[in-house]
Amino acid sequence: MYKRFNQLSFVIGLFFFIVSLILFANALFNNARAGINIYTAVIFFIFGLLMIFIKNKNSTE
Amino acid sequence: MNLHLADYLIILVYFLFVIGVGFIIKKKIKSSKDFLSSSRSIPLWITSLAFISANLGAQEVIGMVASGAKYGIMTVHFYWVGAIFAMVFLGVFMMPFYYGSRARSVPEYLSLRFDEKTRALNAVSFAVMTVFSSGISLYALAKLLEVILKWDFDVSIWVAAGIVMIYTFLGGLTSAVYNEVLQFFLIVLGLSPLVIVALQDAGGWENIKAQLQPNMTHAWKYMGNTETNPMGLHFMSLIFGLGFVMSFGYWCTDFLVVQRAMIAKNMRDAQRTPIIAAIPKMFMPLIVVLPGVIAIALMQPALQSKGFSIPVDANGQLNYTMTLPSMIAHYYPSGLLGVGITALMASFMSGMAGNVTAFNAVFTYDIYQPYFVKNKSDRHYLVVGKIITVAGILISIVTAYIAKGFNNINDFLQLVFGFVNGPLFATFLLGMFWKRTTGHGAFWGLVAGTTAAALTHGLTIAEGKGGWITPLYEIRSGMGQAFIVAGVSWVFNFFTTIIVSLLTKPKKDEELKGLVYSLTEKQSYKGGKWYQRVVPIAILLLVITILLNIIFF
Repeated sequence: MYKRFNQLSFVIGLFFFIVSLILFANALFNNARAGINIYTAVIFFIFGLLMIFIKNKNSTE
Repeated sequence: MNLHLADYLIILVYFLFVIGVGFIIKKKIKSSKDFLSSSRSIPLWITSLAFISANLGAQEVIGMVASGAKYGIMTVHFYWVGAIFAMVFLGVFMMPFYYGSRARSVPEYLSLRFDEKTRALNAVSFAVMTVFSSGISLYALAKLLEVILKWDFDVSIWVAAGIVMIYTFLGGLTSAVYNEVLQFFLIVLGLSPLVIVALQDAGGWENIKAQLQPNMTHAWKYMGNTETNPMGLHFMSLIFGLGFVMSFGYWCTDFLVVQRAMIAKNMRDAQRTPIIAAIPKMFMPLIVVLPGVIAIALMQPALQSKGFSIPVDANGQLNYTMTLPSMIAHYYPSGLLGVGITALMASFMSGMAGNVTAFNAVFTYDIYQPYFVKNKSDRHYLVVGKIITVAGILISIVTAYIAKGFNNINDFLQLVFGFVNGPLFATFLLGMFWKRTTGHGAFWGLVAGTTAAALTHGLTIAEGKGGWITPLYEIRSGMGQAFIVAGVSWVFNFFTTIIVSLLTKPKKDEELKGLVYSLTEKQSYKGGKWYQRVVPIAILLLVITILLNIIFF
């Protein structure tokens, strides 16, 4: 698991995954104009997961 | 604009990640090559995104949105005329010399091709420009945070500079490049929702076109006459000034961007780096020009009920620089607001880190090593590179405070940068494609070009700027003046270089192998799919760019 931090796509994916969770939580606890937060969170969540699980032999140093 | 817990959390996560990248890369830094030039080990997708991200700094993001609001869709010329062609040219024709010569920097290529005085002139002017650019970027970030978030100016300066210093000091160029890729995704994904909601709010593109003057939504149609388009430019000035001189001068010779291609794993990837980068660059106007056009449409009478407006400055004029921050404040709720602010910070920090890593490489390789301390151990140059990184950040901080005290310093520095950058492409063009070009020719061509730029600026006046010798000729727009200054400087450099070269002794052919087109074995990539080859994808990009210009004619 630790080795995957050497993979940039994993780091980027993890960043967007965490940000998506913050956006989801914020939409849950703060209802004001939650729609755009949720839409963005979903996009970030999918993008984050894609980057985390992407198998790119070139991105591993 | 008030931030809440979620916004602060997102900013904090971003800071932790960029610093974390520095710590991860630190373990891989064993030599000065690792620190200053990434040992030519970076994969293509990273070099390509870093290539575009190094140019995705504050001026790009906030400046282009501001231009979109001020000049309309004509701002796309900075992409579809002023970037793609030059990026393709760099990839197809120039990278073989930069990469193949094994030079570690653009000034070092000049040393191999010409002589030490040409290298020194380019290295010193580049080092000064980058470190001052970094300072101006820092000043702009702190000023923005002070205006929109009421954050303390000093705290913003030191926190932003401190974070950039940590990750560039720990991981050098690789760390900066890795963070640039993260910053690229953050800027694109963080600002995309803004475009979508604002476009929807404005009633779509057709309604925007209906609300605005036609010259705000056509890129070329009104460029036949300087009086009929918002930039006040004739299309010939645009094509020569921006499309040729400034564009090729920046994309093909500025070490800040070229450095990202020079760290690719092999020649083919080095050539493909600017070409792959041209793909997102082509569509970047959707993120950085369209919001400005939408903003100005939202201020038209029929859409005033939407409640959006661009703030005015002390003179009652629209403060276009605030267009993007105002849109973020207007459309982004808590949570997404943190993403938007973080994206803005990322653009500033990306620009600053790019400048600092280019500065430390040029200072160490092209000033310190050849002229001050030669033949020391690699460990010595690694330590020097790290010290220069810290020094570069500290000089940036000083520059930021000078900029705070003297508003005009920004304009002054931009002007000087233009004088130095304008003529540069002529030197490279002749150096790479005419073997008769000599070191004396290149040096005096650069001096003549820079002098001609200064004189042209001193004799012309536009929007109250220039004319410091005597205002002999008035130009309608400042942008037009910049293009004319660049064009004149290029022509003077070009002909001075040719004349002096013909009067001086050239290098022998054996010394120019791998440095000049006619004496270099041409790259031929056989095998692989068409989209993995340099030329087919370059041609496809050019065709798409021409189509985009036709669509938005």
